[in-house]
Amino acid sequence: MTEQTIATTERRPARPSPRPSGSTAGRARTRPKTGNLRKGEAFWGYLLIAPTAIGLLTLSIWPAIQTFSFSFTTWGSFGGHTFTGLDNYVAVLQDPEFGQALINTFLFTGMTLISVPLAIGLAALLNRRGLRGVGVYRTLYFLPVVTLPAAIALVWKLLYNGDFGLVNWFLGIFGVHGVSWLANGSTAIYAIGIVSIWSSIGYNMVLFLAGMQAIPAEYYEAASIDGAGPLRQFFRITVPLITPTTFFVAVITVINSLQAFDLVYLMVGPTSPAIQNAETVVYLFYQKGIIQGQGGYAAAIVFVLLLIILVLTLFQFRFQKRWVHYG
Amino acid sequence: MKIAPSPRRRRVLFSGLAAAASVALLLTGCSSGGSGSGGKVTITYGIWDNTQEPVMKQIAAEFEKANPDITVKVQLTPWDSYWTKLKTAATGGSAPDTFWMNDANFAQYASGGAIKDLQPMLAKSSVSMSDYVPAQAKAYTYKGDVYGIPKDVDSIALWYNKKLFQEAGVQPPTASWTGDDLLAAAQKLTDPATGVFGIVAQSTDQQSYYTTIPQMGGQVISADKKKSGYDTPEAIKAITFWTDMINKYHVSPTLQAQTDTAADNMFEAGKVAMIYEGSWAAAEFAAVPYTKQNADVAPLPTLVKPGGVSNGLGNVMSARTPHPDQAWKWLEFLGGEKAAALQAQSGIVIPAYQSAQDAWLKSPLSKTYNLQAFIDDLKVATAYPSSEATAVWQDAVQTEMNKAWTGDETPAEAAHNSATIMNKALAAEK
Amino acid sequence: MADTASLRSPRAGRAARSGRTGRPAQTSRSGSVVVHTILIVGAVVMVVPFFWELMTSLKTFAESTAVPPKVFPAQAQWVNFSSVFAALPFGTQFVNTVIMTVARTAGQVLFCSAAGFAFARLRFPGREVIFVLFLSVLMIPSQLFLLSQYEIMQGLGLLNTITALALPGVFSAFGTFLMRQFFLQLPAELDEAARLDGANPFQIYWRVMLPLARNGMLALGILTAIWSWNDLLWPLVVNNDPEKMPLSAGLATLQGQFLTNYPVLMAGSILASVPMIALFVIFQRNMVEGIASSGIKG
Repeated sequence: MTEQTIATTERRPARPSPRPSGSTAGRARTRPKTGNLRKGEAFWGYLLIAPTAIGLLTLSIWPAIQTFSFSFTTWGSFGGHTFTGLDNYVAVLQDPEFGQALINTFLFTGMTLISVPLAIGLAALLNRRGLRGVGVYRTLYFLPVVTLPAAIALVWKLLYNGDFGLVNWFLGIFGVHGVSWLANGSTAIYAIGIVSIWSSIGYNMVLFLAGMQAIPAEYYEAASIDGAGPLRQFFRITVPLITPTTFFVAVITVINSLQAFDLVYLMVGPTSPAIQNAETVVYLFYQKGIIQGQGGYAAAIVFVLLLIILVLTLFQFRFQKRWVHYG
Repeated sequence: MKIAPSPRRRRVLFSGLAAAASVALLLTGCSSGGSGSGGKVTITYGIWDNTQEPVMKQIAAEFEKANPDITVKVQLTPWDSYWTKLKTAATGGSAPDTFWMNDANFAQYASGGAIKDLQPMLAKSSVSMSDYVPAQAKAYTYKGDVYGIPKDVDSIALWYNKKLFQEAGVQPPTASWTGDDLLAAAQKLTDPATGVFGIVAQSTDQQSYYTTIPQMGGQVISADKKKSGYDTPEAIKAITFWTDMINKYHVSPTLQAQTDTAADNMFEAGKVAMIYEGSWAAAEFAAVPYTKQNADVAPLPTLVKPGGVSNGLGNVMSARTPHPDQAWKWLEFLGGEKAAALQAQSGIVIPAYQSAQDAWLKSPLSKTYNLQAFIDDLKVATAYPSSEATAVWQDAVQTEMNKAWTGDETPAEAAHNSATIMNKALAAEK
Repeated sequence: MADTASLRSPRAGRAARSGRTGRPAQTSRSGSVVVHTILIVGAVVMVVPFFWELMTSLKTFAESTAVPPKVFPAQAQWVNFSSVFAALPFGTQFVNTVIMTVARTAGQVLFCSAAGFAFARLRFPGREVIFVLFLSVLMIPSQLFLLSQYEIMQGLGLLNTITALALPGVFSAFGTFLMRQFFLQLPAELDEAARLDGANPFQIYWRVMLPLARNGMLALGILTAIWSWNDLLWPLVVNNDPEKMPLSAGLATLQGQFLTNYPVLMAGSILASVPMIALFVIFQRNMVEGIASSGIKG
């Protein structure tokens, strides 16, 4: 947000250290020539980006290129890549398991996006002036965010247990007969989606809270004077003005959800009868690429996923002009 | 918000950060320090069973006494990730020097050149393949050469809960039980009021259709390993035997319930009165007070003819080990009498070393359980179904079979689909 | 964090003096009760799983499978916790996780702030192109790097080391992007002033910009620390030796051993996640503010 503005205008930064010795001293009196400045700048520019650039080049960009080339090969049991052209891509697009994994992933993403309006609502509630215990609420809602996903998965597995899980006990109070939520193909992905909402809502809520606190008080004052109630103020003022944050959260949520792996791997697993209706694309990648050693096929899977992420993100960026208000 | 720290503090803060990063990375370098220093060779030994880890370490200690210049490091990787890790490690040449192998994966590793041909070393050694159970000696031979030293064998038998049988007034299983006897007992033992089921009908191949298909007179894979035996009436009957328990007679928890709570855990908690489980489970069940007291084991009921399935583990050497001589010494010791005796004493597994099997029957666990049941089953068991690419069809078949268990497909459909999957994979093998 | 945008509006002074932030007016008491009710219900939903986790870790296996569920164990079964220590080299894995997290966090904060500054404030040929390249890495699902990164680690002989665990996470396009955003918001006059005084770009970075970007670095540090602690897929791929695994992977393998023995699994979950939770509870103010400031516009 704009916290930096405060830092710089309200507090004067300490003066930089005494002038460096030597030839630059004299030149500093006048506006430095752009040519000279650029030369020195370029050197420092490259130097400062060097570690990250080299790291990303060797550990991200090169691997991405290599994986791209893998996607056109078929792997032998213990190594050896044979070039097989577009075979993998054709196989992926024709594979019903991939299609199902894609559907599962979209369902999961859709469910996780539900946490966005929920988080907005919660943030709005926490944002009310003079509300007591904001810090406590914030901490409690944020707890799942700092908890190990492995731990979250195991706890919820216990809660979702068909026989003695808390969820079914709770539903039983209302006379609803619960099933084995994680072992049934028709319910598994939704059950996992709920856990995803539960574990990300605190994070989103904090982001929205920060966004809401940047809204000038005058807008609300003016609305109050006009007789608008809190709900009206929420929909007419708060929601539109936090659309940049909403956009940011939505984009991040979609990108992360499309890559979901941890929860499925830990809560369902390969021997469960529900696996085909719960496995996400990245889980399929793990199964095919790491477990079964079909590296080429797995590479093709991830590239198709990449394309999907790119298209969806692009779409979101294009579409934002329609609904995001920038201050 | 605090005021920006003074120049000196900033410098300290950030050099501190840089130091932290470099120290951390350095530490990692140090802690990943290499193997044996000063003339000592370290051999790594990859295993997956944590119940057997103490025994393996014991054997290693004995070996190190006799071979002071060799250290054996036992590396445990949990079953779930064992084969994944091994495959990638073997591909990259960083597999453990020696490791456990099982019947199902042996052919793939041998044909793929990932494990060493032991024949030359065997010729000069005191170890003889005739010391071991013949089926296992055969299982670890590839194209006439020995690639693995058999370690242990297992079989499946009928575990049952004495207490639940007593309370229900049902006679415990005997060697003469038929499938009908099993079903009748299961029906009497199932009590919806207490939530107890007579039996848990697992879908896992080794504990279910691998045992019943041979008993029905069928086979999972043809002798020449070219054709699947799933789409035969015998196999379908063998599968229906189990699915009926869930879907028709309701004497077993559903597959979904078994996914929520593992079958072994159900037995250990007294929620099911009977379970088909292996000889390796003896140590696990004995470690849980409830089953130590109340469980026992009987030979498998006979459906049509006696039968069962037996799997075996073997010790193999990585093809790319930098210490083949020391690794061979270790394998030799592992395949010898002393190691077999130590395994037998622990009672956890039945040694493949034939003359040590009696010791297993006399191990401390035999006082708790009727271990003879497993030896009886071993005599009639068929070898674990495997081919060069077992991994390609086994999991896919299991997923298919699960659908029969949940009722999404009929046993016949599941069997036919499984056969299709399997035949396709077998055809693709050389 | 309160008066941010108020400085931009013409009525800045008045709003700042009155201490009013962008919050809607307080309404009636009953409204307040409704609000608290909703918030409390939500908080309960957040906390109940943790409470259940704690209770289950102290139960016997039979108690944990009781129907209807029993809340409290008859006797606290601390043996569940010792089972975890017997099954996992927990202490070692804890140290692994700490080293990995510290290395990644320190590395990212250092390198990404340097790169972020360079992209935001310095001009050099190819700056835009290189930055777009960085951005493209952001879009790519990390699984795309996995197989190849594994082979690189293998080639370097770094499999099953903590170095391999930490290394890929030290360099981050996201961190660079984040820091660049923070630096972009600092007024250009500062650079100018420093340059006029004759400082070279590095000194501008080190002495002027870095202190002001503390918030950004804090945010990045916190996000990286949390993400490192929780990272699962990469550790699963690159380290198969339990002695070299971090807690996340160790906990995953615990499930393989104990199947559905929930008391032990819950004990393991608590042991593995408590350090980060404790850190959060102590530093929650900083952490939450840090995270909030990472949600920058555009």
